[in-house]
Amino acid sequence: MTGTEAGPARRIGVILAVLGLAAGPVPLSASAAPTPVPPDTSAAVPGGLVSPATPGAGPGSSAPPSATDPARSRGADLFLRSCASCHGPRGEGTQRGPSLVGVGPASVDFQLSTGRMPLDQEAAQPPHRRPAFSAADIQAIVGHVGSFGGGGPQIPTVGPGDLREGRELFLAHCAACHSAAGVGATLTNGLVAPSLDRSTPVQVAEAIRVGPGLMPAFPESILSPAQVDAVASYVQHLRGDRLDRGGASLGRLGPMTEGLVAWVVGLALLVGVARWLGSRAGR
Amino acid sequence: MITRWLLRRLARSVDDRLRTAPVVRRVLAAVFPDHWSFMLGEIALYSFVVLVLTGVFLTLFFAPSTADTVYTGAYAPLDGARTSAAYASTVRLSFDIRAGLLMRQSHHWAALLFVGAIVLHLLRIFFTGAFRRPREMNWLIGVTMLALALFNGFTGYSIPDDLLSGTGLRILYSVTQSIPLVGEWLVFLAAGGEFPTDEMVPRMFVSHVLLVPAVLAALIAIHLGILIRQKHSQFPGPGRTENNVVGSLFWPSYTVRTLALFAWVLAVTFALGGLAQINPVWIYGPFDPAQATSPAQPDWYVAWGDGALRLFPAVEFRIFGQLVPSPFLPGVVFGGLTFAGLYLWPFLDRRHGRDRLAHQLLDPPRAHPARLGFGVAVLALFAVLLAAAADDVIATILRVPVLDVLAILRVLALALPVPAGVTAYLVARALRANGGRGVGDLTRADVRSAGRLVCVGSPVGGAPTGIGTPEGTAEPVDADRVELWRDRTGLWRWRYRGASVSLTANRAYPSRAEAERAARTAYGDLSVWEVAPPGGRPGAPAAVAARAGRAAGRVGGYLALAAVAFWRARRDRRR
Ligand code: HEC
Ligand code: HEC
Ligand code: HEM
Repeated sequence: MTGTEAGPARRIGVILAVLGLAAGPVPLSASAAPTPVPPDTSAAVPGGLVSPATPGAGPGSSAPPSATDPARSRGADLFLRSCASCHGPRGEGTQRGPSLVGVGPASVDFQLSTGRMPLDQEAAQPPHRRPAFSAADIQAIVGHVGSFGGGGPQIPTVGPGDLREGRELFLAHCAACHSAAGVGATLTNGLVAPSLDRSTPVQVAEAIRVGPGLMPAFPESILSPAQVDAVASYVQHLRGDRLDRGGASLGRLGPMTEGLVAWVVGLALLVGVARWLGSRAGR
Repeated sequence: MITRWLLRRLARSVDDRLRTAPVVRRVLAAVFPDHWSFMLGEIALYSFVVLVLTGVFLTLFFAPSTADTVYTGAYAPLDGARTSAAYASTVRLSFDIRAGLLMRQSHHWAALLFVGAIVLHLLRIFFTGAFRRPREMNWLIGVTMLALALFNGFTGYSIPDDLLSGTGLRILYSVTQSIPLVGEWLVFLAAGGEFPTDEMVPRMFVSHVLLVPAVLAALIAIHLGILIRQKHSQFPGPGRTENNVVGSLFWPSYTVRTLALFAWVLAVTFALGGLAQINPVWIYGPFDPAQATSPAQPDWYVAWGDGALRLFPAVEFRIFGQLVPSPFLPGVVFGGLTFAGLYLWPFLDRRHGRDRLAHQLLDPPRAHPARLGFGVAVLALFAVLLAAAADDVIATILRVPVLDVLAILRVLALALPVPAGVTAYLVARALRANGGRGVGDLTRADVRSAGRLVCVGSPVGGAPTGIGTPEGTAEPVDADRVELWRDRTGLWRWRYRGASVSLTANRAYPSRAEAERAARTAYGDLSVWEVAPPGGRPGAPAAVAARAGRAAGRVGGYLALAAVAFWRARRDRRR
């Protein structure tokens, strides 16, 4: 029941997400435009004194790129401010962070949209957080990092996929690390395959293609685009409590939490009842 | 009116033919002690009833076969997939059959409560010495039922043929296989071939719904029959002797109470079944030997075995040229020792205490410090083993390496049981010496003197002066005696001290001589000891329990801080 009802809604959600991402740059780059003020609009600004100075400020060859492609300069600006300290001004890598040359847009978008980058403190494993940048800024940084050198996986477009195939592929390829329930599990050295509870379809597809951290990358020869769509839509199905048909999920951690609940809730209650009944004896 | 007449007719005609009246009269007149701990076994009994009720419902819809089937139904991610019939029918029970999921979950919760109640019941029997003559037989039956319950839980957990339980089944298979000489034969006999076979599910099913429940039902009948025949044991107390039972009659007062408990067991199992998800096999997916899911553990009641397998270092060795694989020691030997120990306990205890007498009165747990200490030590070990079965969950939640978790648990498994047992032993001795008070009233001096007693063998209660016994003769501590002391108002009091009871006289006397005379009048032939006032002298240090709690909290805090710092350092070093 739940599956069929949720189907269209999820599909629409996926399509909207994809459309939103595709259309994102257009309106958002427009809103990002005001930073470098174009000379003609500045006339309308009360501070008219600025306009004489503008031609003098913008001569030479550095002005044209920022004027023609503001998102580009915004990307460069943000990169220099937030990333260059670790990854180097041209993404060549430093002691504090790996080279970003040729990692590909999917990797950058994944790291930024899951809030992993910019790293604020050195952690063994960057956690999933709220992204530090808006979608437009992410787009801009992705574009800028792309200018360091080509190659690498592109940001995948994710469409609706087949749930059944997704379930089978997920169990075959992902469950050993992320657990069949998608709640995550420990790997070695205290590193974990994280819970997939917050992963959007695009992030799932990016993770599959990029292989962040300890996770292996799955190329098209192993998972075709249609199969990636299937896995992504199954992961959406796993998210939230839609699949917890039996009630409180208890974290989907398996029999040990269930045993704990049996003792701490069930048996404790029944022993309490026995004590109460025993104390009423003889009255 | 009419029903009454009908019932009477019915009862009479049954009695005419079967002579049931004496039996029924005997049961109805049976007296049940009022102490709550006597109801633990009933929780187990009623959980079993719930298991049978819900199990019959499940049997109507469950397909015990690994034949290829196509699932079609409400669970979209499986719709149209090929799986085994067992798995498909379990998902169908969960999604497509009205009340099926409630029944499945209640069945599983009832199974967890069933074994838990058996264990609590067993602990009650153990710590109060209720297994002693004449009740050894019921102890043996009880241990057998525990083993059968574990086995039936395991088979029930495995028959849905899902990925998680399949992992457990494979482990049991390799543990059985590890037995030298006979292992290979045993698994072949049981499973009918190399793991996984198509025979396993149908065989486990027959065992799960028919064989073991039938044996369990028969054993329960014998267990209760013996109980009625031998009558209940009881805790010592006013008016309670080796020759009577004080409590409520089965009919009507006990019947009402026990039916109330039944209703509560039903309510709790079905509330859990309706509100808390258990074993969501649709998420785990069907069993596939090539796949795995992590974290993976079995149900708690077999998890101690899994924990032992994880904790024990992997050692293989050869006996007479036979390679013994690593699961043999932690799996077969440890499990075998556990149950051998349980079966033999009444006889070991009898030898240790040189006590072959029949007992109708129970020991308060403190009366046998050695038994209490041993039991607590074993419980501590099993608690560590249970935690070890969840090592992957702990590592995920704390984000620490599994190997570190295992290392710490290994240390705990070796280091925790003995101190826990010794502490329990000392507290029991102190309590016994202090006579009838709770743990909260113990002072540090009490425990210390109990400890000194263990070390030097001097009598209880500081430095008593022996009266009536020659100076220096070591009086056995457990011997009956009379104790005298001066209470905080300056008056003299006395009490009788036996191995397991102490009876304090009500009257106080202005002088020691008068108190001693009174004691001698009552117990002329016993030695008289002057002791420190039991429990709480004026200005005595605060109760040990409270102090210990505070100290433990502080130590725990430091340990937690140190652990955090340690892991931070490790993580930094790794980077
Ligand atoms: C504090 C230093 C630091 C900062 C600041 C930082 N990074 Fe990183 N970055 C790292 C480290 C370290 C890694 C390697 C992480 C790992 O091993 O999982 C990394 C990995 C990456 C990767 C993945 C590389 C690969 O090989 O797949 C990308 C993409 C990335 N960073 C982008 C960025 C961007 C874009 C920013 C700025 C918004 C940024 N980082 C800011 C330290 C940093
Ligand atoms: C070898 C184990 C392994 C396998 C197999 C694996 N992953 Fe991962 N996965 C990881 C690890 C480790 C990370 C965390 C990466 C990091 O440190 O940034 C991760 C991260 C992810 C994330 C990002 C989660 C977040 O927090 O935002 C997604 C999504 C993901 N994986 C999906 C998948 C899918 C889908 C598959 C199967 C096709 C899969 N993984 C298979 C280990 C694995
Ligand atoms: C000693 C008593 C019993 C114990 C400990 C026990 C335990 C279990 C457990 C743990 C499961 C797994 C449930 C799940 O899928 O989550 C199970 C399944 C099952 N049990 Fe029992 N059970 C007992 C008695 C019975 C009886 C008496 C019957 C039938 C008359 C029965 C019938 C079933 C059936 C058909 C299943 C499989 C259906 C399913 O898993 O959904 N059980 N049992």
